[in-house]
Amino acid sequence: MIIFREVHKWFGKLHVLNDINLEVGAGEVLVLCGPSGSGKSTLIRCINRLEPIQKGELIVDGMKVHDHRTNMRKLRAEIGFVFQQFNLYPHMTALQNVALAPTKVRKTSKREAMDLGRQVLGKVGLGDKIDSYPAQLSGGQQQRVAIARGLCMRPKIMLFDEPTSALDPEMINEVLEVMKDLAGEGMTMVVVTHEMGFAREVAHRVAIMDMGQVIEIAPPEEFFSNPKNERTRLFLSKILRH
Amino acid sequence: MWTYYLTELAHSLPFFLKGLWMTIAVSGISLAGGTAIGFAWGILRTRKNRFIDHLIGAWVDLIRGTPFLVQVFIVFFILPEAGVHLEAFPAAVLALTNLGACFICEIVAAGIRSVPWGQKEAATASGLTELQQLRYVVMPQAMKTILPPLVGQYVLLIKDSSVVSAIGVMDVTRAGWLTVQRVPQGLLVFGLVGILYFIICYPLIHLSNFLERKMGGGTTSF
Repeated sequence: MIIFREVHKWFGKLHVLNDINLEVGAGEVLVLCGPSGSGKSTLIRCINRLEPIQKGELIVDGMKVHDHRTNMRKLRAEIGFVFQQFNLYPHMTALQNVALAPTKVRKTSKREAMDLGRQVLGKVGLGDKIDSYPAQLSGGQQQRVAIARGLCMRPKIMLFDEPTSALDPEMINEVLEVMKDLAGEGMTMVVVTHEMGFAREVAHRVAIMDMGQVIEIAPPEEFFSNPKNERTRLFLSKILRH
Repeated sequence: MWTYYLTELAHSLPFFLKGLWMTIAVSGISLAGGTAIGFAWGILRTRKNRFIDHLIGAWVDLIRGTPFLVQVFIVFFILPEAGVHLEAFPAAVLALTNLGACFICEIVAAGIRSVPWGQKEAATASGLTELQQLRYVVMPQAMKTILPPLVGQYVLLIKDSSVVSAIGVMDVTRAGWLTVQRVPQGLLVFGLVGILYFIICYPLIHLSNFLERKMGGGTTSF
């Protein structure tokens, strides 16, 4: 579903992605972790070309993301993206937020999009908040609306860029629960997160990045109990302590 | 003596009202045109095209950095040398439209830049076209920042329109110039001129203040 082949990216002189080779299969849940500045957010943002890559091949759902001629709008419609800061549209209600892209990109009728929106918001547990504005919702609720916004496009892939990092601790679980349900339904997911409990429980594979490289990738049992790389061990000892 | 002047002035009132109408016509057309062009330029300036950004930026700086009177003279007296002959009215409208566009462009660009980058990214990620992003996501939010200073700018432009009396446009200010030659009471005559401008501008000042209060208390995301 997602294939990185010898992908490189630079921010000026900074080599943020250094020879990334990675495949994510259909229905797979991949968790990406690593110290800050390791390139994990950049990597996930490359998948729908919020960031362009400079070298190598990146193929998503059969489309060449590295190729300038690729119609990214068509591909982006198939990929839901959830941001750390939610990025809900503040001038729209929850329902309007989730129904915008279906009506404008998919050209579904307004009524159909609204019905779908209600249904999906209900699914993430916000059936009673459809007419609330983002400012009236808690962080956890906002992030669930953001997930619903992605799901309303009926995407093939969902990308999560630190979806719980901006949340108060008591709101993290409500968001993770929605993501677990999604994984259970067989959604292809790439999740940048430090929630190692989530990784252990839900991920098919866990990858760790450091200095622009994927230094280790393994199924969670193996990743957590028997990490091969010294830097993986160091990282895990730091974040699993608390 | 004062009664004499006041009667004279009262007789001139239709003349002033014609001038007022001319001021409204010049300002109205220029504000509409300047707003349309200003929005277009402002939006273009916030695109990722450096060349267009710098081109518009240079023009805006040039216009903002020179007196409006000089610009009006250039349009009316210098352009004919290049073969562009304009009557006073279209020359005035052209100069004022351009001036308005330059100021409004900056207001619009600042408004768009005030919308958090994440908004545009979220819209991009969901597959909206650039135009759809602008129309449904960016501009509705930018308008909150744009509207109060925009209306304030309208007030300034209406007052700036008095400069076009210098090339013979029969606006309120010119009506004042001509009347003061018959009624040599400057305070009285230009007091009336001032009052007529004030009548147009005062509601706009209040509108601007109202918008500022309304927009300031708007809903924000975080």
